[in-house]
Formats: sequence, C-alpha cells, structure tokens
Amino acid sequence: MKVSLKWLQTYFDTPLPGAEAISDAYTFHAFEIDEMQGDMLDVKVLPNRAADCLCHRGLAKELGAILDLPLKSDPLRIELPMYDLGGPTSLVVEIEDSKKCARYMGALVKGVKVRPSPDWLREALEAVGQRSINNVVDATNYVMLNVGQPLHAFDAAKLSQKDGAYAIGVRMAKEGEKITTLSGETYELSPNIQLITDANTDKPIALAGIKGGSAAELTGETTDLIVESANFDGTTTRRAAQALKLFTDASLRFQNRPSPELAAYGMRGVLALITDIAGGEVVGVVDEYPARATAPSPVSVSLEKINGVLGSNFSRDEVENVFKRLALPYMVVHDVFTVTPPFERTDLTIAEDLVEEVGRIIGYDKVPATELPPLSSTPDQARYRGIERMKDQLVEQGFIEVSTQSFAKAGDVTLANPLDKNMPALRTSLEGNLQDALARAKYAAPLVLAPGQKPKLFEVGTVFAKEGEHIELRMTERVPEWGESAGTVDNLSVAKLEDYGKEYLPARYELGAYKTFSIYPFITRDIAFWAPAGTDVGRTTSYIQEKAGELLVRLDQFDHFEKEGRVSYAFRLVFQSMERTLTDEEINGVMAGIAGALQGAGYEVR
Amino acid sequence: MNQQGRLHPITIAIRDIADIFGRMGFGIAYGPELEDDWHNFTALNVPDDHPARDMQDTFWIKDQPGKVLRTHTSPVQIRYMEEQMKKGIKPPYRIIVPGKVFRNEATDSTHEAQFFQVEGLVVGEDITLAHLKGTFSQFFKEYFGPDIKTRFRPSFFPFTEPSVEVDVWFEKEQKWLELGGAGMVHPKVLENAGVDSKKYQGFAFGPGLERIVMIKYGIPDARLFHSGDIRFNYAFGEEKI
Repeated sequence: MKVSLKWLQTYFDTPLPGAEAISDAYTFHAFEIDEMQGDMLDVKVLPNRAADCLCHRGLAKELGAILDLPLKSDPLRIELPMYDLGGPTSLVVEIEDSKKCARYMGALVKGVKVRPSPDWLREALEAVGQRSINNVVDATNYVMLNVGQPLHAFDAAKLSQKDGAYAIGVRMAKEGEKITTLSGETYELSPNIQLITDANTDKPIALAGIKGGSAAELTGETTDLIVESANFDGTTTRRAAQALKLFTDASLRFQNRPSPELAAYGMRGVLALITDIAGGEVVGVVDEYPARATAPSPVSVSLEKINGVLGSNFSRDEVENVFKRLALPYMVVHDVFTVTPPFERTDLTIAEDLVEEVGRIIGYDKVPATELPPLSSTPDQARYRGIERMKDQLVEQGFIEVSTQSFAKAGDVTLANPLDKNMPALRTSLEGNLQDALARAKYAAPLVLAPGQKPKLFEVGTVFAKEGEHIELRMTERVPEWGESAGTVDNLSVAKLEDYGKEYLPARYELGAYKTFSIYPFITRDIAFWAPAGTDVGRTTSYIQEKAGELLVRLDQFDHFEKEGRVSYAFRLVFQSMERTLTDEEINGVMAGIAGALQGAGYEVR
Repeated sequence: MNQQGRLHPITIAIRDIADIFGRMGFGIAYGPELEDDWHNFTALNVPDDHPARDMQDTFWIKDQPGKVLRTHTSPVQIRYMEEQMKKGIKPPYRIIVPGKVFRNEATDSTHEAQFFQVEGLVVGEDITLAHLKGTFSQFFKEYFGPDIKTRFRPSFFPFTEPSVEVDVWFEKEQKWLELGGAGMVHPKVLENAGVDSKKYQGFAFGPGLERIVMIKYGIPDARLFHSGDIRFNYAFGEEKI
C-alpha cells in the first residue's frame, strides 16, 4: 500500500516526523516498509490487517497509536447520515446471492460535470502512483485510498430505465458471457465470476469488485451517475481476479474481507467529494444489505496473561495506554481488560490478539531475552544421530555426500501442478540422480580429488513409492568393509537407528568461507622429472606454482621413488580459468615454462 | 593415501544446529514430506480459503486430493504433539525439525522450489516470547559469532499469535538481515494437536536453512545446494573439530 506523507499529515494537527522516523515507527510496531521515495512510503500491510489498513485512514490510525499522536478526526467514527431513497422507484438493486454480495449501496447523482480533477486531487493520486482520469473517477479512487472502500461510478444515461427506475443487478456470469472492461479488454466469463448488470436488460456493466465495464463508462458528456459502494465476498473476488488474471486495487481490498459496514462510510465520502468537485445533486441512495455484519464480540485479556505470554513486566497503566492510543474501546476490572473492537478491526478475536497489540505497540525491544528453564529429561536425538553415524561411516570410507532434487521424470506419485513439465513426478529412488551426479563427479574429480582417487557418492533423502515415502540411503558402490550382505541401498525409515545412534556424537567440521568454482572446462597435465636425492619437495612445488601462475587450481604429487641416488617425482597439474575456456596451446606454453624452470634448477624432466 | 569423503554443507550445518539446540534441551523430530491438508494447513489454523491452498505456491498431488508436498516443516509440530499426547506424554516439549520443504515458485539465486527449514517448537506451562528471544539470540550468537544482535519485528502467520520476524545484526557487514518467522503457538494449533491451550503455551520458529548457511559462508546462489555437484562440497576449506 503506497501512502503519501502529505496525505497522512491531513489526519494530524501535530506535524509528523520525517520519513525515516515514520518508516521506523511502522517497521518496529506494525508493518515493514518495502520502499521509500520522497513523500511516498510503500507499506507492506500484513494479511491480518489488510481489512482495515489498505488505506490512509488505517495507516494514519496505526501511526497515531505508535507515535502517541491523536487523530484530528476519524472518518469511521463520525456518525453516518440518513439517506433519502429518492423516491421508491428511482433505483432498485437486486442481489442474487447474499453470501457473495453482503451489501450493495447505490446512489443516483444528477447534474454532475465530468472535468479534469482539481490540482490537489490530481497531485494526491499521483503521489501514490495513481493516474488521474477525471474528477468523478478520481473521487472514487481517492476515497478508496483514503478509507479502504472500493467504489465505482456508472454513467446512468447508458443504463436503461423501467417505469422510470434504474435497476442494478448482482449475479454470477453465464458460461461464455462476455464483458469489455474500461481498459478495452474483452473477457469471456465462466459461472464463478460475479457481475454487476443493468438488471433491466440483464447486460453486464462491471466485473463485481474487480473492474468496471465499458458499457457504462463515464465521458465528458456524462451528467447522471449511479455510484456503487458494495461489499463483495473475498474468496469469490479473489478467484475471479485470478481466473481473469486481473488484479486491481478493488479486488485486492475485497479479497481481504473488509467489513460490509465500511461501504456506508465509503459512500458518504465519495458523494461528498463528487458533489464538491463535480457538482450535481444526490437524488437518492439505496442500501441493499441482506447479510448484515455482526458486531465484533468483546475480547478479554488479563494483565497477568499479557505478561505471561510476552514474558514481560508491563504495568496496568502501560497496557491501558496501548488501548487508548489504538482508540480501542475498553473496560478494565481487576486488571482484566475487555476490548470491544470497532467494526473495521476484524482481526481482534482472541486474547492473544490483544497480547500482540500490547507487545507491538510498546515494542518487542521491551521484551527481555530469557533463558529457557532447565529440563529434567535429556533431549531425544537418537534417530538423527543414527542417520548421521551412517553418514560418518561412509565419509570415512571416502564417500562424498550429495543432495539432489526430489522431482523426477517418472514415478509412482505425480504432481498435479509441476513447476517443470519434464519433471512431473517424485523420485521413487535416489539411483537416477545419484548416477547423474556420479557422471558429473567423474568429470570434476581431478579438480577436487587426488590423482588415483575415484569419486564415490552417497545421498540420504526421501523417496516416494506407491506404498508410501521413506528415507533412503544410497551409495554409488558397495562398502566392502560392511560385509558380503551389505548392498548399495538401505531404507533408513525401517532400520533401527535409534539404538545405533543413541550414544553416538556425530563428527563436526568447521568450514571456511565459500570459494566460487569456475564453470569453465579445466585441463589436466602431468609432469615427471628426476631430481638429486635429498631435494626439498617444497621448493620443487614452488617452482611449479610460480611458473604455472593463477590458472593452476590444483597441484598433486602422485608419484615418487628413488633410484641410483636420484629421486623421481610426478605431479598432476589442473588448470582452469574463472573467465574463459583455456586452450591446449596456452597450457602447452605454461608447461614448457615449468619444464624450463625445473631444468634450470638442475632437474631432468622425463 | 587414505581417501577421505566429504559431508554436504547442509549436513554440517544441521549438526552445528543440533548441537546448539541439543544443549538447550531440544530433541530432533521428523515428519513426512508428502503431507495431508490437515497437517500442512487446517491444523495450523490456515483458513480454508487461504491463497496458499489454491494452485499457487503449493504442489498438489495428482489423483490424491488433499495431499501436498509440505510447504513448511510446521506440520511436524502437529504430528509430534499428536504422537506425544497419544503416548500419554504431556508437555514440556522441545524439538527442532530440520527438513526439506517445497514451494511452487520460480527459482532464482535466492529461491529454490525445494529447500530446508529448521522448525523449532517449545511447549510448556510458562513458555513466553521472552524465552523465544533468549533461545534465538543464544542460537545466533553461537552459530554466527558473539557480536551479533537479534531483534523482533511484528509479523503475521496463521499458526502463531503474536507473530514476529527475526532480524540479526551482522557487525562486519553493518546490516540487519531478516532470518525468519517465529511467534507464540496459536492456541488453536495446540488444541488441534490435542494439547490443552488453557494450561500450556509455547513458541515456534522456522527459518530457512540455506539462507542461514549462505550468510555464514558467503554462498551466492541457493541453487548450488541441491544440484548434486561435488564441487560444492569442496568449495569450502574443511577442518574436523
């Protein structure tokens, strides 16, 4: 939710602190800030607060509570006007399913002038990344961003009248029914998408809670409006937006289930703003409210419980102050607080919710760090240690542990929605991946293993067979030391590893910092030479390294024997670049240089 | 020369973590990777119409409705508590659960469709958010070094209330890094596992393991971990302790 600091300031008499301080206030007491840019903060409103905080009013209220600054006035606390129906027949609303549309308020406004918005409105919208369209559309967007209620205005002249009355319908789409939206795209609909229709003709005029249709679009000629402030079901709206791949500011808000009570506040706000900047007169307001919101139930929490959950030592006054700052109506009797949440705070339902309000507003930095109490029993790590003991045994036998992907080309268990269409199943065995890893390990062996050593791999991982999953241990070859009967695979889910591991302490390793390895091919070369007896091999190694330069990534001495007062040495050199593929010619040159250096030192290169 | 093999860095990290938490009294528990809807979502207080339940971030199993690849290690909280209660063993409970989890997300250098989490669960009569702070800060100090600092920020998860995000301060880099979510176990979660939420309370956490290991050793790409490439094992100096 993008908010403008200037807009937030309209809620306070006291000047707000700078953007940094506001950002910190939100971050440590409410929500993370995704982005800061001049006057704009992008606030990552948490899912449980998206019903009341996807708007400037909600975020101003939070900020006021955090900074302990009173709000000038709260639009949701100002008593609502009584609306005139404008005569029983000027506008009718028909809702097909009250589970999918709890409330629909429609207002008939006559005599407006659709014009560009005044500067303050255009600037306010542009400050939060919105585009200004015209005064009426901007008014609906402004009020939505101000109090959180999505709103829409239709051109009444484009709707039909029956016996002098306009009729708005809310119903599910028919299979194959089509609608063209305001931005000009045409969508073919399915029956799980809710529509707003001109009920007199049954033609769709909007995707309910998502976007308006072009059929009743406002133009410069528009004079009469039907203004909508409704409450559409969260799941229905979200699924429809998903099916149409059309996520809008309105659908985002509805999918977070704002209270249907909010619709009336949105309507009041938008009618006041439209008549102020576009003129016209409100002829009547219809309020079809079949699924009335139940008032939130009072929630109680004791001071003892608050401190007992947080591990804090907050006083009654400190806690009371939190509820005051949040403007939550409360009573306190014998250190038990009973809060009656206002309609928009749909998130406050259990005592722990109130504990959270206290913790975050006072600040989690005021919660101490306490050591866990000692336990009388010893922790059970036997099975884990059994598995780790198996791994340690294998490492001792020269095996390298790998970890591979659980997805496979084929298997007994298939994914309904694979990420990679070529890997739609779950592995039934580690064998395939391990063989693949071994092939690559053989290639990479000269880089990481000494000459003469061959890679032996193992993996411990879950495999998924028809009869269920189990943890498999698989090796690329047998361990002769384990006896004739030991194969290359073991089912660790059935193996009795608890006794095997109970007393075992897994080996521990300290790793150094990660060193990136090259993705380019390497070249291996051997060099053998005679040196005088008693030659210091360290010096010999230095000759090679100095001449080989930075391209030498590994150097192993793999042979040495004495004969007739001389020593024969053989070294393997591995060359690789971080930036490119090396050529044989350049390595031939390097090797010639090394040979030259060794000869210069009096050795006889063989 | 005797050929010495090498463990995978994830194994080495889990051993470090198991050791630190072991000294704080934590056992180690396991659970299935192919989970049912109850343990992965419902019992954890994830509402029926939560977006995670759509075909979005979750891998669903063909012809097995209600089966998913677990999206987190949290279902093992439920399984562990269910099992203990069935055996008649009441809290205190203290476990960590290192395990693979799956998310149906495009992969990049910081996201993999499969990765490890280390779940933690502590339940007792008087376990508090302050204990969570004490436990986490001890863990991070031992794992990353004594000059780190830990802080909590407000967050939201259906299975914890209050919920927090945990940041760790790295003196060398001079910055705070987000290391995972945590919170006080939601009373509904305890009840769903058969534990009396009037008598017991606790905390849970579930940081991603690769992220912790990447930060500790400066590994640039999460995709290296489960590539089956032995060069990854050898990209670190290694010393047996």
